[in-house]
Amino acid sequence: MSEPLPLAPVTADPLVVHPLLEERRPDAQLGEALLRPVLTAPGMGWWALVGVCAALSVLLAVAITITFVTGVGTWGNNIPVAWAFGITNFVWWIGIGHAGTLISAILLLFGMKWRNSVNRMAEAMTLFALVCAALFPLLHLGRPWKFYYLVPYPSSLRMWPQFRSPLTWDVVAITTYLTVSVLFWYLGLLPDLATARDTAKQPWRRRVWGLLSLGWRGSARHWRHWRTGYLLLAGLATPLVVSVHTIVSFDFAVAQLPGWHSTVFPPYFVAGAIFSGLAMVLSLLIPARRALHLHAVVTQAHLDALARLLLVSGLFVAYGYVQEHFFGWYSGSPYEMHVMNILRTGPYAPAFWTVFACNVLVPQLFWSARLRTQPVVLWCAALLVNVGMWLERFIIIVSPLSEDFLPSSWRHYAPTWVDLSLLSGTVGLFGLGFLLFLRFLPPVPISEVKELQHELEASEAFAHDVSVRQGGAR
Amino acid sequence: MSRWVLGEFRSPERMVEAARALRASGFLRLDAHTPYPVEDVDAVLGLPASRLPLLALLAGVGGAVGAYVVQWFTQAVDWPLNVGGRPLHSGPAFIPVTFESAVLAAAGAIFLGVIVACGLPRVTHPFLDQEAFRSASIDGFWLAVAVDGSEGVDAAEGALRQFGAAVVLAVEGRR
Repeated sequence: MSEPLPLAPVTADPLVVHPLLEERRPDAQLGEALLRPVLTAPGMGWWALVGVCAALSVLLAVAITITFVTGVGTWGNNIPVAWAFGITNFVWWIGIGHAGTLISAILLLFGMKWRNSVNRMAEAMTLFALVCAALFPLLHLGRPWKFYYLVPYPSSLRMWPQFRSPLTWDVVAITTYLTVSVLFWYLGLLPDLATARDTAKQPWRRRVWGLLSLGWRGSARHWRHWRTGYLLLAGLATPLVVSVHTIVSFDFAVAQLPGWHSTVFPPYFVAGAIFSGLAMVLSLLIPARRALHLHAVVTQAHLDALARLLLVSGLFVAYGYVQEHFFGWYSGSPYEMHVMNILRTGPYAPAFWTVFACNVLVPQLFWSARLRTQPVVLWCAALLVNVGMWLERFIIIVSPLSEDFLPSSWRHYAPTWVDLSLLSGTVGLFGLGFLLFLRFLPPVPISEVKELQHELEASEAFAHDVSVRQGGAR
Repeated sequence: MSRWVLGEFRSPERMVEAARALRASGFLRLDAHTPYPVEDVDAVLGLPASRLPLLALLAGVGGAVGAYVVQWFTQAVDWPLNVGGRPLHSGPAFIPVTFESAVLAAAGAIFLGVIVACGLPRVTHPFLDQEAFRSASIDGFWLAVAVDGSEGVDAAEGALRQFGAAVVLAVEGRR
């Protein structure tokens, strides 16, 4: 052969189209760039968004006060539709949390390197979503100040919680999920809080971050325990995340109501949870990436990976819909068939077909590799999926309740302004939490991105060596 | 009062090489301080594997057993309540709470285990008083040699310089 063969491309993996990091920077510069959101003053946009979210949070406080003072009679709930908005919001919010754990724990166990740039934001999203979720069962108790009756503690009442009921399972599941998410998040933050402490110039910042970082010194002994502990927590969080939404689905599946009493509910709910959570991750990540100039570390590779996950989990959800309607028909029970019929052609048809469009049709866009890396398309699709998933929870809860066995007890449901305020108020609280997080804590895991950069450099150097050696041998 | 000599290296590879050389020349009380976990460093420093997995297992089993016993005692012994004719000791219905409690106990033990095993919280360690040591969480790779007396300090300083440390500091304070 007269012409020398071209050298092998200098990437570790020829199948990787988009790089995980757009550029290589010295560690100090990289760390400073990732800390810029917390070290510099926020822009007008941040203040405007904080204003909107704070106003919505005030609305939430008003709605909660009215619920406390007057009672749940101020909600649109009725008999038979006793669950309505409260439980819809609960299931929706807790599902959103699941994608954070998927990204931080499951992808860690699978060794997916792309999680490193986005896991912190996804975990923060989980925490704030869980706080919003935990509000609703408490408020829905009717007498929220008696919530501690659900905890088994020895008291003069000589009564215990009833542990055969999914309500008590929920309490333990949510408490555990919230606690484990906080611990996992904080453990991951420790090294970055130390970086923030050591990068900051003002003494008060050093002091605050110094206290929060607990005196982390990055010793080999620290890292040894930290890595083991982090991996163990990921290993625990993975079955936990599946169990939590399974238990939430038991709230429904254990009941004898047509449309609820179904064995497909646990996997169907878990798939829906991860689907809606991924949509929320994209809804937050895409604007944050733009506002904080994170294009170098949150690249097209991340958007592509998240879009693929959205498509896959969307297919699971679509399969869940098919199964739900198939079993409704296959049961031969007129009540089951009725519940499915009112979804397709009855009073809930507009909601049902919106759900179908948002959750089944929209994700199909992401078979296209080009659309998977278009932030605007992804963001709009993610918002539609958020809406679709909320509506899905709504029709799952409201339609079987409103038209069950006896037509004389059928009754439909309409929310009141208190219901709507609680929903929009939690959106505000969630947004406020996330905005404050972006401002006060490192939003991208600094040590993990530095480690990733080091690994990429090493693998590129290796690939380069190999290609040079092959070229030399020729 | 303990004494250490700290040396800063500009790359993890150089630091690991220097640690290997230091151990070969008899400095055994070594530690590394790095912005991210460095491969091989545990093996070079001769650190044993963390025993946290055992702690997690024990705590998880403890949480599970505790939760099951609480449910059995409250439902079947202390306050037997007939719900739809279900058995008072209804094992399958106790599984969700048992599982969640196992995870909660294990996760709590892991977190506290990491904190205790790392000797945290400790915000006033003498290393943290050194301005140059700030780079240990940014872009510097530090080796810490624990030494005795001023001869030890001189020997360790000489060795660290010889093996390529860019910055060398002697620190003393409470361990």
